[in-house]
Amino acid sequence: MSTKTNKNTQNANAEQRKTGMQVLKEMKEQHRESGSGLGRAHLNNRIAMGVLWGATVITIGLLAVILIYVGYHGLGVVLQDFPRFIFTWPEGVNAEGGIWPTIVATLYSTGLAMAISTPIAVLAAVYLAEYAKQGRIVKTIRFAADSLASVPSIVMGLFGLAFFVETLNIPLSMLAASLGLSLLMLPITMRATEEAIRAVPRYIRWGSYGMGATKWQTVSRVVLPTATPRIITGLILSLARAIGETAVVFLTMGIAINLPIIPTDSGRSMSVHLYLMAVEGINLPSAYGTAFLLLLIILALNLSARYISKRYSRIDNA
Amino acid sequence: MSENKNTVDKSQEDTLEAPSHASEQEVAAGKESLRTDADPSKKTLTHTPSVVMKELADTAAKREPVPEARPATKLQLVSRSTQIKEASLATLFFICAFLAVLGVGLIFAFVAWRAFPLLSEIGLWNFLTGTQWSVADNTFGALPFILGSFVVVGGSLILGVPLAVLTAVFMSEVASPRANAIIRPAIELLAGVPSVVVGFFGVVVVVPIVSALVGGAGFGPLTAWIVLSIMIMPTITTLSEDALNSIPMGIREASYAMGATKWQTIWKVVIPAARIGIIDATILGMGRAIGETMAVLMVVGNAPQLFAGISAPISTMTSQIVLEMGYSSGDHRTALFGLAAILFLISMSLVLTVRLLAREQTKKTKKPKKGGGA
Amino acid sequence: MFNNYFTFVILWFLGLVYYNLWVVLKNRKGLHITMAANSGIVCCSSCEKEGSHRFISITKILSLSTKLSVVAALTLLMLSAFALSGCTGRDIQGQIIVSGSTTLLPIAETAAQQFEQAYPHYNVLVSGMGTSAGIEAVGVTGTADIGTASRDLRGTETELDLIEIPVAHDGIAVIVHPDNPINDLTLAQLRDVFAGNITNWQDLGGPDLPIVLVNRDEASGTRSSFASAVMDGESFEVNSVVLPGTGQVREVVARTPEAIGYISVGFVEPRHVETYVQAISLYGVPPTDENIINQTYPIARALHFLTNGVPEGSPLEYIEFVLSEAVQEGAVRDAGFLPITEAEHAEFRRMLSEGN
Repeated sequence: MSTKTNKNTQNANAEQRKTGMQVLKEMKEQHRESGSGLGRAHLNNRIAMGVLWGATVITIGLLAVILIYVGYHGLGVVLQDFPRFIFTWPEGVNAEGGIWPTIVATLYSTGLAMAISTPIAVLAAVYLAEYAKQGRIVKTIRFAADSLASVPSIVMGLFGLAFFVETLNIPLSMLAASLGLSLLMLPITMRATEEAIRAVPRYIRWGSYGMGATKWQTVSRVVLPTATPRIITGLILSLARAIGETAVVFLTMGIAINLPIIPTDSGRSMSVHLYLMAVEGINLPSAYGTAFLLLLIILALNLSARYISKRYSRIDNA
Repeated sequence: MSENKNTVDKSQEDTLEAPSHASEQEVAAGKESLRTDADPSKKTLTHTPSVVMKELADTAAKREPVPEARPATKLQLVSRSTQIKEASLATLFFICAFLAVLGVGLIFAFVAWRAFPLLSEIGLWNFLTGTQWSVADNTFGALPFILGSFVVVGGSLILGVPLAVLTAVFMSEVASPRANAIIRPAIELLAGVPSVVVGFFGVVVVVPIVSALVGGAGFGPLTAWIVLSIMIMPTITTLSEDALNSIPMGIREASYAMGATKWQTIWKVVIPAARIGIIDATILGMGRAIGETMAVLMVVGNAPQLFAGISAPISTMTSQIVLEMGYSSGDHRTALFGLAAILFLISMSLVLTVRLLAREQTKKTKKPKKGGGA
Repeated sequence: MFNNYFTFVILWFLGLVYYNLWVVLKNRKGLHITMAANSGIVCCSSCEKEGSHRFISITKILSLSTKLSVVAALTLLMLSAFALSGCTGRDIQGQIIVSGSTTLLPIAETAAQQFEQAYPHYNVLVSGMGTSAGIEAVGVTGTADIGTASRDLRGTETELDLIEIPVAHDGIAVIVHPDNPINDLTLAQLRDVFAGNITNWQDLGGPDLPIVLVNRDEASGTRSSFASAVMDGESFEVNSVVLPGTGQVREVVARTPEAIGYISVGFVEPRHVETYVQAISLYGVPPTDENIINQTYPIARALHFLTNGVPEGSPLEYIEFVLSEAVQEGAVRDAGFLPITEAEHAEFRRMLSEGN
């Protein structure tokens, strides 16, 4: 919804900006003709534009530096006898060799977390967008979701440790970690889904109701299928967030390297592996390789989310 | 963290801004009456179908012959099972939605419950103002970490906010759509870089540079400021850009018409108009910064002392929790949960502040509109 | 070990939510029956009055049974997953749980991998939560078979019936930048440096530079050993960089001319990296292997496995594997530690024979 409105306003802005610029040009010419000094304001303007350019270049440059630095050091590690780093186990006390179990643990826990949080988040969003009457309850729920989104991840990790591990007696495991992660993903997915549902045009619903469909029929057969691409975009972004998450996983998954099979197996995720390698500082090549793969996964997820939403909006516009 | 905050705030702004924005244009076109109608009609429309359905179901239940007269219809509005279904589904959805409330409640309850013995053992005041943190002596004062968190966050805001806001201004006011097509994905990607990767980057790149520049080991507030400002910049940029984009074009044109240069327009007109949005963005960025864990832990030096210069190591609440949680027990663990409770309260209060600001803003924007309309 | 009730409720709820989502995606009818059945409401009776609806209700009942069976199957699947997890739980023979010091974690882990390869019917679970947690796990709660400790037992821990089996030796080298002219200190000087009483290298006879202290985090076994050997009850100066890893300490000291830190002796020589540090001697005794094992170098410690009583069965096999030459010369040396001596081996044998 937001992107669409943004686009519209941007287009409008662009057009209007042109007119503004034209006016400005005319003003300038007038001033030049009359010989009065716009010089200082003009100079200031130039300096300011330079500063704006500079700020943007620095911001983009930071991203570029991180990507290039990690890529430069990591690519070599990953490409050395190519699939070895990805598909073999770490060996020895300094974790030389590959990082396969950590990749599996990462995908396992985030996948499980997504499986736990998605249905709840989607149905909760359906409630907020379609069923709830605006009132105190909805306000409370929305405030809670906002707060949940802003809870520092380390607090979430501590909660995971105190509640899932120590109170419910789930061992330090994939399950405990993914329960913690799902709390983290819940507000993101919920928000994205709610926006997606609200973006579905009202008249489509009226059509469905007009056919005599019940609310649930309308939601399940008309609204949700229409909103699916946007929901998937939101899901992917929350997944990217969960994959890079370290603090929650560090406290709830255990840190020993292990290949998880059942949900109660412990393991070490890629982000935790990267952290341990980085602070141990002994086997830095492995850290570079892990960081590179982690960035690659997140890059791929971000790009695919972008692709889906772009494709969807193209269909929408057509 | 930023990703969700972005969406959170975006949608907040959408819900808050969109109607007012639209209405403003309507006012300009002299259609105030339409706007006042719009809101109630929306509400009734969303709920009309359910009301109608209920009425239909009621009448159908009263008059039995009607459903018998058309048995082949799949119109299940009439059967009681449908009602039960709808009601039970609605309940299920409500439970799902309520899980968010439950989650926040549980988090606070558990962290507070675990931190509670602190009150009796150490005393809240002693905990908050104690400057000594020593596991060996069993003395736990949180002041170095609370101050450390604020020092680190404050510095990173000073570094990050101008850069982020300038970038946002550039994206919204100067850049061509084609340039934005590169800048915006880059900013979003920067927001997606995991904090542990940024921390790793900080350790291998920023720390040696800082060490070479200011001496010492390179771990300390200055390094943390740089690393943290990288982390919060995308959040602030995206949210500020939204705020800037929501400023109506007419204001800018008015400024240009007065003969202002682009920069004068930006500095004197656009930024003041988007002030509250930018403040919102800064607060949310602050929320992200204060909860940031791994990146800070890796570069801040983790010494439990008060701020003693930009290159002297300090510690923050988040980094202390990660560093010591693994082996803590007894009072120590309670104290760490106490730090977590403080963090939780700070982040909640930031969310509340944003809410209050948003409410303030809607009040403010409403008033002049009515005046303008009259 | 599992709070089954909670887990069951959570999973049941999830299954329910899932099933409905699946129905949404499949666009199928008859959902309400399942829903109603899930809510424990039998709803078909009301439809039966209306004759024309009988046919529908029969199909509904039919579909009800299928839906119910799907839900039941889902629930069963989840339950079996947990039953399975229960089966591979702690009471099965062949499972060895090792828990404790993070210092010993890499050794225990590497040895566990090799052990599992050599004895496929055993499963070794290694976790590192710190020495104290390890002692509690093996001595108090009994959740671990073997605890790993990087420090000596202290306080009430000595009252537990724990047997200490040395598995490696560790010397802690005090390191400075290679250009630093100072290469010998006394323990008292070292204590003053780390307690913050001496803050300039000038006071030690070096150049006029402020001392940058590089310390380890409190969870570190290296730090507690250093504290007990050097600090003599004095507390560390707080204005010191606290780093959570050996390699980082080394890297920072190698880069910073005014820094001083301490790491395990095995890491003084470079591995994977091209940076160098200088280990200083104490009272003229350099931290060599020999000096550490015969304890003439003052900052040395032994790393222990702890068992509750004399070890037997599968834990004993694992311990013997760790004490074998393959692990001692392999993993132990790789981790920067020194293998145990013949005398300690003999002591272990004697303890075993006495115990039996």
